[in-house]
Amino acid sequence: MTEDRELDAWREQWSSIAEASTDGQRKIQQRIKKQNQRYVIGNLMSAIMLAGFLLFALVMRHQSGWLGTGWATGICVLVFVSAAYRVWILRGTLHPETQTTRAFVELWHKRVLARIRLLQISIYVSLGWIILCTALTAANWTTIGQDVMAHPKDWVELLIACVLMQPVIWYWAVWLRRRKLAELNEVNIILDEMDD
Amino acid sequence: MNYDHSVTDRFAGQVKIVSEHRQALEEHFDRILSEYWAAISRLAFSYETVASVREELVQEIALAIWLALAQFRGQCSERTFVYRIAHNRGLSHVWRRRPAHQPLEELEESDEPVDPRPHPEELVERADQRVRLMSAIQSLPVTQRQLIVLMLEGLSHAEMAEVMGITENNVAVRLNRARKTLKDALGEK
Repeated sequence: MTEDRELDAWREQWSSIAEASTDGQRKIQQRIKKQNQRYVIGNLMSAIMLAGFLLFALVMRHQSGWLGTGWATGICVLVFVSAAYRVWILRGTLHPETQTTRAFVELWHKRVLARIRLLQISIYVSLGWIILCTALTAANWTTIGQDVMAHPKDWVELLIACVLMQPVIWYWAVWLRRRKLAELNEVNIILDEMDD
Repeated sequence: MNYDHSVTDRFAGQVKIVSEHRQALEEHFDRILSEYWAAISRLAFSYETVASVREELVQEIALAIWLALAQFRGQCSERTFVYRIAHNRGLSHVWRRRPAHQPLEELEESDEPVDPRPHPEELVERADQRVRLMSAIQSLPVTQRQLIVLMLEGLSHAEMAEVMGITENNVAVRLNRARKTLKDALGEK
């Protein structure tokens, strides 16, 4: 009986807590409208950018030499990956928030783990890619070497850009990994609480 | 020519169906908002103490409800649907914005609820009790906090089990523990 009175008192205090501002609902409508606009504009911009990149790749492809071919191939791969990612995002109609808390936290845990693994794999793949490119260049040096000698400035610029990009990508990957590990730790705490 | 006509008719029909569906969805969303607005606002209190950020959280919850509403097929009750989204958003919010709990003395003046009743002393005491309760709830571990909020919102054990994805017996056991922790926390304040 005491417990019920206690609960009633808590409920009374709880129900008298101030609500969010009354114009909040109007703000939500505005946010929904903005979200819809962003959706349409985002898709339009993506389509334009992808088409632009493909056009650029086509122009580069017609430039003679290995560098042009390399640029064109790289851009085509990038466009393909970006388009696939965009389609994947658009298909993402799953709303994990609608699931039970347990299912939501378990899914969250799986996603964080998957992202950490993906990050590790990406680091290994990028290292492998560098090694592969170096090996291919070495194996075809007789052909590529001629192009390097013919356009040394272009190749030096490309090399400097690649070297400068490495530490940026590396620090970003390290930062992201640390953040994901902290998130994993947080999710583990919630899961432990739920299992307790 | 006839073929062209039927194609345009079909297209117009499709557009009409889509716009009707959209309108029904908007009406449903408006009804949910007006019905659960106060509950969502209170729930946001348990996850965020800063008023401006809390308002942002309420909007995020509402937006998540809107995005998920098109796929709501009555798999669970509407109430469960709303509370699931609200709590799961709250959990993500706690991770994104730590620390979620602020000490009692840091609670903003503007967070104080407005009570129109006339006696100033009683008013102050009630406001103080509310702030103490809020602060105690915010200091609980997230799963206990969630159970306490659902209990205060008047959900049955079965509904709480539906929101959290645990059995009713489990709800009862955890709720007892959560109430004890809350009482202890209130005792410390």
